[in-house]
Amino acid sequence: MKTLILSVAIKLLIPVFIVFSLYTLFRGHNHPGGGFIGGLIGAIAFVFHTMTHGPQQTVDTFLKVNLYGYPRQPNQSRSLYLMRMMRVNVWRRRRKARQPNLNEKMIRLEPIYIIATGLLLAASSGVVGLMFGHPYMHAFWADFYIPILGKPGTPILFDIGVYLLVIGVVLKITFVMSEE
Amino acid sequence: MNHLLLLLPLLIPLYGAILCLFFWRLVRVQQYIGVAVQMGLLASNFMLLLYVNQTGIITTQLGSWPAPFGITLVADLFSSLMVLVSAVVGMAIYLFSIKGLDKARQTFGYYPVLLILQMGVAGACLTGDLFNLFVWFEVLLICSFVLIALGGSKPQLEGAIKYVTINFLASGFLLTGIGVVYGIVGTLNLAELAVLVRTPVAHPALITMAGMFFLIAFGIKSAIFPMFFWLPASYHTPPIAVSAFIAGLLTKVGMYALIRLFTLVFVLDQELTIPLFTVLAGFTMVIGVLGAASQNDFRKILSFHIVSQIGYMLMGLALFTPLALAGSIYFIIHNILVKTNLFLISGVVAHRRGSFALKKLGSVYLQHPVLSLLFFISAFSLAGIPPFSGFWGKFMLAKAGFEIDSFAIVFTSLAVSLITIFSMTKIWNEVFWKRKPDTDPMLDVMSEADQRVNRFLHVPVIFLVVFILFIGLYAEPVITMAQLAAEQLLNSELYINAVLKR
Repeated sequence: MKTLILSVAIKLLIPVFIVFSLYTLFRGHNHPGGGFIGGLIGAIAFVFHTMTHGPQQTVDTFLKVNLYGYPRQPNQSRSLYLMRMMRVNVWRRRRKARQPNLNEKMIRLEPIYIIATGLLLAASSGVVGLMFGHPYMHAFWADFYIPILGKPGTPILFDIGVYLLVIGVVLKITFVMSEE
Repeated sequence: MNHLLLLLPLLIPLYGAILCLFFWRLVRVQQYIGVAVQMGLLASNFMLLLYVNQTGIITTQLGSWPAPFGITLVADLFSSLMVLVSAVVGMAIYLFSIKGLDKARQTFGYYPVLLILQMGVAGACLTGDLFNLFVWFEVLLICSFVLIALGGSKPQLEGAIKYVTINFLASGFLLTGIGVVYGIVGTLNLAELAVLVRTPVAHPALITMAGMFFLIAFGIKSAIFPMFFWLPASYHTPPIAVSAFIAGLLTKVGMYALIRLFTLVFVLDQELTIPLFTVLAGFTMVIGVLGAASQNDFRKILSFHIVSQIGYMLMGLALFTPLALAGSIYFIIHNILVKTNLFLISGVVAHRRGSFALKKLGSVYLQHPVLSLLFFISAFSLAGIPPFSGFWGKFMLAKAGFEIDSFAIVFTSLAVSLITIFSMTKIWNEVFWKRKPDTDPMLDVMSEADQRVNRFLHVPVIFLVVFILFIGLYAEPVITMAQLAAEQLLNSELYINAVLKR
């Protein structure tokens, strides 16, 4: 489904979806929201991208990480370097689009690894309590307060795990369905 | 110590499954992870059993929320025995599936799903919360659905659809029952539920009505008489490693839940429930064994025998004396081991012959005398011939029955035993003894690689036979433990005090 309107709109909307999903994730402990809903909202962005550009493009754009970067110059600041890296990545992606069989070393973030990471985080958030002789999933809270995000504690690890898990599952389902 | 021991049976398979997901493409690594996880599970579950045997019922409150509000994990002797046996069976299944399952299935997430299934079994046995019990049964249902459908051949899908449809119905009943109980009593913690239903305020008829929902739900899940038909229709379709695990374990988990609930919570109206259970147990035994007698497929015979054996477990609950419950517990342990082993043996035979139909099989005794001996031990253990494990379970049940003069059910069970021997003899004659129909058996030789695989497939079978012989020939510690477990079940005060810390 290639429509110009949707593809332009989704380009603008992806950051909105991501930011809103993160907001939902972090307010979830005491208000409506949380990992599950946040993950679903975050997944919408990728689902729309897949609907407009196809699964291969989504994977190329979001889920591939280039390992071999351009070396950082000694007098270059880290942020400048990161921006440069992003530009290099975009440039490489374009080159890849022109020459599809160009073989470059990339790590492909399979949805299954996102799922596994999410599960690992969620399961491990409970183990923290176990290690200090409390029951499983005993919550530890920090004493300080971060504006907007709130008070950090081990339950947020669980929520982040669920967030990643949901994104991974939805991505996997979307990719499988759209390839058929 | 409590917290860790109670959590390890859940956490070890969970972390194993997560690791397997990370190594999604490397089946070899997944196999190593699986075996390591099984060893860890065996060790930790054995520790749990020892610890519970020493100190009595142990509990942990997840998230430090006190008992009636949070989720409690409880391990008494019965549940830790179940968990330990499930780990033994899991080990055998893992060893079997490394060589006995085709590569295609292994690459599509067989190992992580099986690990999660094991976690589900442990969770269902250890939980002390009614809703949590439902959740664990859903975990079991989802995982076994994936395992039965994995591979997607036509008979498999047919079996999977039957399995899932009927089990969804069961889950619906279970959820309804939970809703009704919550509506009547206002709590879902098993210990507090047990306290509240015993107060004079509670309405016994209503609570029995809610109990019937659970009877139907777990009756479907453990294949009790009127609701058993899905089991023989679906258990023979998936590959043998899967069907051995599911057939050996899952119905018994349903039985575990039934025994737990009807000894702890729904004990008020025993004039109604005990005759009902007696009738159901008798019919389950008879129908299962008659169904088995009419079948001509190795695995289908075994599947019908599951139904018949479930009847014995229910019989222990129906007699409701300490000895009968101990017999039930012993019988569940024995049956998980033996049934899994029989399925695995049918898999070894089928690996050699490529078929489960009795007509096409034959002369296994001539070529694999060791395998035949292993089958002999397991089959006669199932039938209940004296030195083997099945005898002790049936003996305890029969003795308990005679003690309270319920002769009808005892004689039924003894008659069913006879027909079980008939079925086992049929398998023995057709598969092991008679000459294989068309070919000369000495002529078809296996290739070197096939022989190696076949020898490897003997390992899990021997592993299980060692346990079967152990609980048969050296039955005393197991029987003592089963009796202690039965006493714990009947003394609900122990459970309630341990959970509510009174």
